[in-house]
Amino acid sequence: MTAPGTDNAGDDIVATVTAIAATELGLPAASLRPDADLREIEGMDSVKVLRMIAKIEQAYDIELDDEVVFGLSSVAGTAGAVRQALGEQP
Amino acid sequence: MSAINLPWSVLADYRCFGCSPHNPGGLQLVFEPHPDGVSARFRLGRQFESYPGIVHGGLVGAICDETMGNLIVLRHRQSALTVSLRQRFITPLAIGRPYVCVARLDPDRDGQRLYRAAAEVLDENGTVCATATASYRPFELADVRSRLTLSEQEIATLSRALGERSG
Repeated sequence: MTAPGTDNAGDDIVATVTAIAATELGLPAASLRPDADLREIEGMDSVKVLRMIAKIEQAYDIELDDEVVFGLSSVAGTAGAVRQALGEQP
Repeated sequence: MSAINLPWSVLADYRCFGCSPHNPGGLQLVFEPHPDGVSARFRLGRQFESYPGIVHGGLVGAICDETMGNLIVLRHRQSALTVSLRQRFITPLAIGRPYVCVARLDPDRDGQRLYRAAAEVLDENGTVCATATASYRPFELADVRSRLTLSEQEIATLSRALGERSG
């Protein structure tokens, strides 16, 4: 699978993570701020976070460490974990 | 959608836990073509239970592995052994409920020794319940004949059914 956004700036990763999170929540992507606490967003729960992570892993063909996954709290933090998994600078 | 005829079916008594119709204790998975690769529908009974009402997680891994492995065999015309399997469980699977496992291959890369594949398990609403990725090492049947409880004739028959690219 071709990973989206790997050739461009980290903003693309934020945009992709935002889009996947918004899809899980059924919200417009524009309503999700990168620093928003995912677990505080109405309708989000631990299962949706995990499903979001699974979709991100598939989209980028990466494996995020479980310790990292269960510590993630925001779109920006998730995008940072993706960058690290891709071998980019955080 | 029509069931895929697996090469192993030329062996009258093959007992693969995942896909043989001759193993009463097995999963008896049946594979169908899918736009992404192949799929297998399943509904597991209490003999595969973990916590009451919940499918044992190891079975989810076995189903993903089986679906990915057979996809590789069908696409590459080579038998292959699982080298690694990584599973992500999102929600538990319920005993008695219908699910489908969909497997797809990663694109071939130049010089690669291993095949890589991914799978996901979806419930009847299309919601992802589990995902998996795995690597497989291809092998020729003739090269591992000492490990297989097959006669020379059976190996030849199975190799022909596989359409092995060499060996």
